[in-house]
Amino acid sequence: MSATPSIHPSLDALLGYWLHESDPAATEAIDEHLMQCQPCGEALDELVALGEGVRTAFRSGAVSAMASDAFLRQVVGHGVRVREYRLAHNGSVNCTVAPEDELLVAHLETPLEGVERLDAVVTLSFSPDEQHRFHDVPFDAQAGEVLWLPKVDLIRKAPTHTAEVALLSVDAGGAHELGRYTFHHQRWSGR
Amino acid sequence: MQALATSVEGDSPEAQAARRIAGAAPGEAREAEAELYRLLAPRARRFGLRHLRDAHAAADLMQHVMTLTIEQLRGGQLREPERVLSFVLGACRLTVMDQRRGERRREDLLQRYADALPIADINIAPRLDHQRVADCLERLAERERSVLVLTFFDEQPSEAVGQQLGCSPGNVRVIRHRGIDKLRRCVDSGRRTA
Repeated sequence: MSATPSIHPSLDALLGYWLHESDPAATEAIDEHLMQCQPCGEALDELVALGEGVRTAFRSGAVSAMASDAFLRQVVGHGVRVREYRLAHNGSVNCTVAPEDELLVAHLETPLEGVERLDAVVTLSFSPDEQHRFHDVPFDAQAGEVLWLPKVDLIRKAPTHTAEVALLSVDAGGAHELGRYTFHHQRWSGR
Repeated sequence: MQALATSVEGDSPEAQAARRIAGAAPGEAREAEAELYRLLAPRARRFGLRHLRDAHAAADLMQHVMTLTIEQLRGGQLREPERVLSFVLGACRLTVMDQRRGERRREDLLQRYADALPIADINIAPRLDHQRVADCLERLAERERSVLVLTFFDEQPSEAVGQQLGCSPGNVRVIRHRGIDKLRRCVDSGRRTA
């Protein structure tokens, strides 16, 4: 322990401490530091509040993400109401969002072995000239699927439409399509 | 318990408040007690949140530790009041251990001393505009947003997030660092213009 609390941990160190990544010695040192240092405590509070903001935004369906099946099981374990659709390679599905659904998940089966970078391109039938491209989306090559968690609040408000998602493998040689998936979305009809 | 450096503690506002409490008749230094509470209660609560991962348990820990500290100072049982930071840190650690062992001593103490505890307003956590956070998240790269969602939804370390996304913990930490930096700047700029 230093004579003065002048060695302030970095934000990365504070976050690692908060997420239980720090080893016991580092945890003890940061515990001691935070007991003396008000600015570092406030910096940590800001990080924690930011994390809470991310959690709230995700739970309210206001942000999209690419995830994994393990993460999805965690989310379900927290009592989040999830509607899932599984699409075979190049498959299609009729889909909707019920008022009680908090999260919408599409499992897109696709061969991912050897893929260096993955992009996703979404086209919506009500604005066919507009393409939404998601660059460098995270994926687990072993899983053989991409888990797409779109923004529920946006889809809930959308009219009945068709969405096409193309997954593209991108490398030095350019981009080539791995799979194409079609969602026939119907607004919730109460059944 | 490892003591905090005395040179830090002795001149600190916390030590000054502790000395005023210890030097007064029991319960007569209400202002100093409120000052000590205002300074140290958020730190005890933060310690509880980090180690107990439960807001109610952390609030209980804060109340217990602050009650114990002020009672010890009032009764002259804390022989070196200027070392109050060490005492509070030690009490936090012991309380966490007690809670993990499922002991009830904490509740007994709260019942005994709750009425005597000076209550001061404490600034616990900053509040953010959640819509602003959502808008800022949407501006991040897909990989950054996904890493932040997987990290913060269940407060997962980089190793767990890496396993879930098929990348290394080091890679997760780099992406997380970049994502948080952008998110903070974006949220802060929204605050300034609000």
